[in-house]
Amino acid sequence: MSNLRSLAGVTATVAVALAGWSCEPQHTPLAPSIGTPRFNFFVFQCQPLKMTGGGRIDFPPGGPDKNPPASHEYETFGAHVMSSGQLDANGTTCLADKGELEWVDHRPEMELNGHPLNLHATAVTFAELAVDAPHCTDGAVHWGGTLRVQNTGQENLDFEVFDCDAGEPGVGQDGFAIRVIEPIDGIGHYEVTCEPDVSPAEPTCTLTGGNRQFHPTH
Amino acid sequence: MKIDRMRWAIRFAALVLPMTWPGALSAQLQGTARAVAFGVVVRTATVNQTTPSAVLPSDGSLAQDQASDVLVASFVTAHDAFATATGADDGTQSDAVSSATLGTVNILNGLITADGVVAMASSTVGNSNAEGSSLANLVVNGVQMDDPAPNTRVDLPGTGYAVLNEQIPTTGGITVNMIHVVLQQPILDLFGGVTGYQTMGEIIVGSATTGVN
Repeated sequence: MSNLRSLAGVTATVAVALAGWSCEPQHTPLAPSIGTPRFNFFVFQCQPLKMTGGGRIDFPPGGPDKNPPASHEYETFGAHVMSSGQLDANGTTCLADKGELEWVDHRPEMELNGHPLNLHATAVTFAELAVDAPHCTDGAVHWGGTLRVQNTGQENLDFEVFDCDAGEPGVGQDGFAIRVIEPIDGIGHYEVTCEPDVSPAEPTCTLTGGNRQFHPTH
Repeated sequence: MKIDRMRWAIRFAALVLPMTWPGALSAQLQGTARAVAFGVVVRTATVNQTTPSAVLPSDGSLAQDQASDVLVASFVTAHDAFATATGADDGTQSDAVSSATLGTVNILNGLITADGVVAMASSTVGNSNAEGSSLANLVVNGVQMDDPAPNTRVDLPGTGYAVLNEQIPTTGGITVNMIHVVLQQPILDLFGGVTGYQTMGEIIVGSATTGVN
């Protein structure tokens, strides 16, 4: 009986210690490559996280209101990312366990080979929690990797995503933004990001449809 | 004997205690996400075709399908169709989003045309909506229709009827069909009078379904 009690006590202590250790956030940030000053998405933590969902943005301007449908000025996407909060061997990059991105830009001026610009992530390599985006009340994530331009087959373009969950419903609140680091053949520099006067969670653009869902894994 | 009682007590506690944790029971009851999207479906006695289509995988990640050109017999032609389904099972934080988008669409040899269709459905626990759905340059039987209200019905003499921006609430979710044509033929009496209509099939362009149960 006393052995059993001791075993239970030790087990409970170990379990509590393990849980506490595994929930301890790691504060090593990954410095993003960014081109312009922003109000949000500067300070990061490497910790377990998951973001799922998809939606629609009407960019430009990227605010909470839809553009007239006939303008075709909108983008649609599905995207998810998951990280267990592990840094790479250099201790500089917060690794993503997995992720996917499907992005379609329906603007006529973004057509390539006669079809809407279609970006497909071939690898999602990093994901980190943004802790300086207070509007994203449920969670904000900076993540990215490499993608392929489906229209042309152009490969291995680096991209980054700014992802914001500001509660339910997602429309009119949540935000999403994407930047492709290298030029896209036939388009050049490509990004869908929004200014602070358009989105409270700059550089994300406000969803006009869909939802982003942050899943704290602890 | 005491050890047996203790074992029984531990088993009982292991079964019952989790149910007392806040949100645990609701998380067990709510948390299955479903998301489906497709660009075009035609169902008649001779045709049963759906393309492109995406169904949320069981691991709760993402599915996507696309077709540059869609041709379903003489029923539908469409270009640049994309279907996406995403979400995750996660108790009270489960979510599902699906969308179907199409470029130019021609139904029944020009009876209905549009050049931008977006069907979008989104669900979280206790919240489902079709925000983000839209129809661009929609013309039905020669009449331009801008931004039709949900569940707008238009009769199509000799063909049946169409429901535009059809929104159907489901248990824990919603289905959005942006253009839903119901194909009908009249039932005639002995004197040629119309006594009713018989449904012969349906065409759906731009469909998105989500739910969290």
